[in-house]
Amino acid sequence: MPTTTTTTVAGRTKHAKAILGDELHKKLGETKVLVVGAGGIGCELIKTLVLSGFIDITLLDLDTIDLSNLNRQFLFRTTHIKKPKSLIAASVASTFNPLVDITPIQDNIMDSEKYHVDWFRGFDIVLNALDNLEARKYVGRMCVAGGVKMVESGTAGYLGQVQPIVGGVTECFECMEKPKGGKTYPVCTIRSTPSLPIHCVVWSKSYLMGQLFGVDEDAGAELDEAEKQGENAEEIANLRKEAESFAQVRAAIRSGGPAARMIFDKIFNTDIKRLLSMSDMWNHRASPVPLDFDRIMQGENENGNGSKQKQTVALKDQKKLTTKENLELFVSSVSALSARLSSTETVIEFDKDDDDTLNFVTAASNLRSLAYGIPQKTKWEVKEMAGNIIPAIATTNAIIAGLIVLQGVNLIASSFSPPTSTPTSPSPSPLSSLRNIHIQLKPSVPLSAITTSRPNPACGICRDIYTVVRCDPLRATLRDVVQGVLGLSPPPISEFTIFASSPSAPSATRILADPDWEDNLDRTLGSVNVRCGMFVNVVHEEGVWETISVGIGGLPPDAGCYGGNANRNRNAEGEGEGEGIPWLMLPDPLPRLVVRKEEKEKSGGTNTPLPPPPVERASLKRGLGEDDDIVVLDSNDNHSADAHPPAAKRRKTSSNPPPSTPPERQHPARAGFSSPSKKRKLEEDGLVLMESAEELLDDISEDINGGEGDVIVID
Amino acid sequence: MNDSQPLETATTSIQAPSGAPDAKTRRYDRQLRLWAASGQAALESARILVIPATATATSILKNLVLPGLGHFTVMDDKAVTGADAGNNFFLDGSKSIGKSRAEEAVKGLMEMNDGVEGVADVRDIDEVLKNDQGWLKSFNIVVAHNVDSDVLDDLAALLWPETHLVVVNSAGFLAEFSVHYREHQVIESHSETSASLRIDQAFPALLEYAMSLPLDTMDITDHTHIPFPVILVRALEEWRREREQVTGPSSGIGSPRTSAEKKAFKERIRAMMRKFDEENFEEAEAQAFKCWTPTVVPSEVRELFTLYSLSKPSSSTSSSFAALISALSQFVQNNPASPQYTSGLLPLTSSLPDMKSSTEEYVKLQKLYRAQSEKEKQVFKDYLSKRQVDVDDVTIDVFLKNSHALKVLKGREWKDINPGSKELLADKLSTNPKEAAIHLALAAARKLRAQGVLPLLDPTSRPNNTSIKGILDQNNLKDLLTAEVRTFLPPGTELPEADWSIISGEIARAPSADLPTTAAFLGGLVAQEVIKMITKQYIPISAGNAASTANERMGICVIDLVETWTGIL
Repeated sequence: MPTTTTTTVAGRTKHAKAILGDELHKKLGETKVLVVGAGGIGCELIKTLVLSGFIDITLLDLDTIDLSNLNRQFLFRTTHIKKPKSLIAASVASTFNPLVDITPIQDNIMDSEKYHVDWFRGFDIVLNALDNLEARKYVGRMCVAGGVKMVESGTAGYLGQVQPIVGGVTECFECMEKPKGGKTYPVCTIRSTPSLPIHCVVWSKSYLMGQLFGVDEDAGAELDEAEKQGENAEEIANLRKEAESFAQVRAAIRSGGPAARMIFDKIFNTDIKRLLSMSDMWNHRASPVPLDFDRIMQGENENGNGSKQKQTVALKDQKKLTTKENLELFVSSVSALSARLSSTETVIEFDKDDDDTLNFVTAASNLRSLAYGIPQKTKWEVKEMAGNIIPAIATTNAIIAGLIVLQGVNLIASSFSPPTSTPTSPSPSPLSSLRNIHIQLKPSVPLSAITTSRPNPACGICRDIYTVVRCDPLRATLRDVVQGVLGLSPPPISEFTIFASSPSAPSATRILADPDWEDNLDRTLGSVNVRCGMFVNVVHEEGVWETISVGIGGLPPDAGCYGGNANRNRNAEGEGEGEGIPWLMLPDPLPRLVVRKEEKEKSGGTNTPLPPPPVERASLKRGLGEDDDIVVLDSNDNHSADAHPPAAKRRKTSSNPPPSTPPERQHPARAGFSSPSKKRKLEEDGLVLMESAEELLDDISEDINGGEGDVIVID
Repeated sequence: MNDSQPLETATTSIQAPSGAPDAKTRRYDRQLRLWAASGQAALESARILVIPATATATSILKNLVLPGLGHFTVMDDKAVTGADAGNNFFLDGSKSIGKSRAEEAVKGLMEMNDGVEGVADVRDIDEVLKNDQGWLKSFNIVVAHNVDSDVLDDLAALLWPETHLVVVNSAGFLAEFSVHYREHQVIESHSETSASLRIDQAFPALLEYAMSLPLDTMDITDHTHIPFPVILVRALEEWRREREQVTGPSSGIGSPRTSAEKKAFKERIRAMMRKFDEENFEEAEAQAFKCWTPTVVPSEVRELFTLYSLSKPSSSTSSSFAALISALSQFVQNNPASPQYTSGLLPLTSSLPDMKSSTEEYVKLQKLYRAQSEKEKQVFKDYLSKRQVDVDDVTIDVFLKNSHALKVLKGREWKDINPGSKELLADKLSTNPKEAAIHLALAAARKLRAQGVLPLLDPTSRPNNTSIKGILDQNNLKDLLTAEVRTFLPPGTELPEADWSIISGEIARAPSADLPTTAAFLGGLVAQEVIKMITKQYIPISAGNAASTANERMGICVIDLVETWTGIL
């Protein structure tokens, strides 16, 4: 087949076609690709995609370009600094081939109202080139929910990793628990008894920065929590006093006057003296020493720290500062930050690439270290500690991007019959293998490739059956949606517990209804705060059926017609075309109920068919297409005859239960208590119950995601 | 933006600390955290020649230009074709067609980093090999991608061994590369193994400190802060005294050996706890193996002593390295700073791992280690001073810090592996059939290309679709490849039939096609190896240890992106 449509110059695609074959090469040009992230991997990826023959590319990134990107993000120049990565990458890469159509989006992928399951379904393949775990998880979930193939990736220094994911076929991004990034410290260690440099850095960055230059927040909440956790009550009372006296220095900073001296005296002298007055605290520890501004300025407190340092090949930022230099840095950074506050900015947060904030954190943590007799750190080291910096170089990104496209092409190729392979051309098509690939430091085995694993049967993300209901949340009731998805055949809606969750925080589920508490069923989604982009999880009380997770989508703009029938009987053949509800579009066909694997194993061969599988029905005016049951993970149509099998373990919906949690605690529905008294117990399980309809789930998810510095940057 | 300022200037011009970091440090921040200022300085003084301006070659260069290579020259006498324009991101698209491939590629590459010097050379490599040999040898590293066999042979012979040669060959999804050098010394190997804490052979101050603690009567808080090395030294000394039935110092020899002894030893540590949850003692129990893992000089380091005592120093750099090794060898024989264990130890390093302790106790322990390591360093420096080679203190510190993980690699000359001796290849075909088959197929393709039998990828030379002619061509090419490979092997050697069919088919299908994914992958992998060679940090792919007499490795990295694996031949 001639492919002149994608060729402006004779022979332009010669190399790629010679190897991929004309048909696969043509297919690549028709594939809709989403690339999430235009950083280190993203730049490489866009280049390789464009060269390989991809045409229709959407590129999303939230960030703007920084100087420290230029050692590897090769589409960017110094003149591009501060401009959006997505826009620049798209425009630079487009000049290579005018036929390429790159749509840049500068946005946060985790905006679930915009980037919902249906949006993801608009792509044939999603390639992740992200640098943070939360966003990687989000995209992973949406692709599993939407049945979209994806390739996951990450790099750190010389190491890197690529993982192709097909929901239900391979393991998903969350089948294996990811190591937790970041570390938490007891409040009192940070606030009053630091013993390591990192404690002082965390104090300066997360506490002091906020107190001085952040929003005027009530620091009491954290202390209340610490008190509950059983930390020393006297220390906490003391810390409360300390927090209260920040009001004065905050005002001084914002008045534009010289505030550095005042801050210094408060935090390095008065506050430390107050701590010292609690003599019990220092019985078993070295006590801190209050610092004196004038003495330091006069050059006391120096113990040969920086001054007599050997002159080696080191960077400027790797120089150890003398105490006086630290204090000078403290003063100059405070005045720089105050000047910014009194002019344009209202709040300044720590940013490793914002030099004023980095100077401040370096100076403040070193002065605190001095007071506590802790070794000090250079600005270079503080930047790495405070900024969670992961080394990043061009070579690793290039290798990874090559592998992503390779795995991506494998995924695309495997969706249709291999191209023009004749017995006389035994060359292997690139379809043969999906591999999890790691680049490692072992010089004898630079690359480790292992066959992708099957999904983890206990995975809380990819074992659900996903479907989408489009509706007007202000008019559709919970019953409309859930009953609509279940159909009329058994099991009845009363056997299910219904949760709401947001894809950006799937573990923070909120219970909407259960067999003993059906008050919400006839309320609209809007009135129970379920909005477009969220999920309604339908969990079987007895654990017989796999959970159905219903993505709530908005009605299409041209939904003058309406397709769904809320009250259709699963068994009804052809008679289901009852009265439709104009504000509700159910998937067609409805998702199949699937027996949970453990249930099946338990009942062994004694399965007898219960309700027959949902039969194919005449397509509706506006069905969502057969893709809807692409994620039916186990298409066994034989449902268990036993309506009340022994209670099964459920892994879903509680907030990351530790493995040791007794089974009955893993799933609230198993606990067998009746509402509303079950609320408290559910909270103990880590679930958040909605007190009133006004509570917003998004706030909850922000609490969960907004935690300080616990994101691994893998760029 | 002052990107072109040399790093040496940026690093040594320490100004007022409040000033913003220079643009250069910020630009290179993420890589400096990997190879530090010393690695960066090496990179910035390196000169590289790349032949010719293929998609793979420019991909390699891209990954060297971005981190701030000193100088590169691209040599290519060809003009840009349509296929190049669609395949090489660093050309200016169709606008480049007809222009010099070298000049267009250099222009595109230079855009990425104005701190790097780039030069296009449009001469024919054959001419340069005849007339400008000195210039070719002026580079630190020469990278040759899909260069014809005869040219490559001449080039390799000329450069060996002073200028390192990197040979890269690729066809579609298959590739191989090799780096040619005689010997490569790595001091900063960034090894994951840390130096010994010498628990089993404690230095006097450490032993004394460990034995002086009143474990049963000391303050309970202090008890929970005793660092695990101190606990282990104490427990081991007590164990030795009991075994030797002495009340005074033990002989300092012996450790739990049998699994029963080891188990009992762990219980002994557990019994030292004064309350239930002392984490430092739990840590000591977990680290108890350090008591029966003898502190020794790793055999690879030991082998270097022999290697350098035999070889004559050739160049100035290797003579200072040889002197360091020689002084180290003497130190291992006699270390008066450690009276009880005077031989068999590398100089102590002062870096301690993290451990459960208080700042005070940790610092105390660190001081003990530091004092001893200073003493031992002095012994080492005395030995070194007798060798009349001037080595600066920084180098000595880095050397001692890494003395347990020193690496000296050997490489091979190109002619020894192109394609390699018949016997070796036959052997490789039986031990690593796939790797060997790819290596042989690429070598055969190179030969055939030089003979003009195998066509270069050209829009006019091959049919667009799989027609009868195409099939015939491909089968014909496969037969030619097979015949050529037979000449590399002893008569009657079996080729791994299934693998060979796939591999030769892959080459016949695309004799020199530069696939973007392969180019991106190779570009990263080869550039990474070049950076390791230049910075002398991390361990590059090699033919083995210089001290080993075994000749089993060829030092070739083979890549198969059909099945996504790499192997070392």
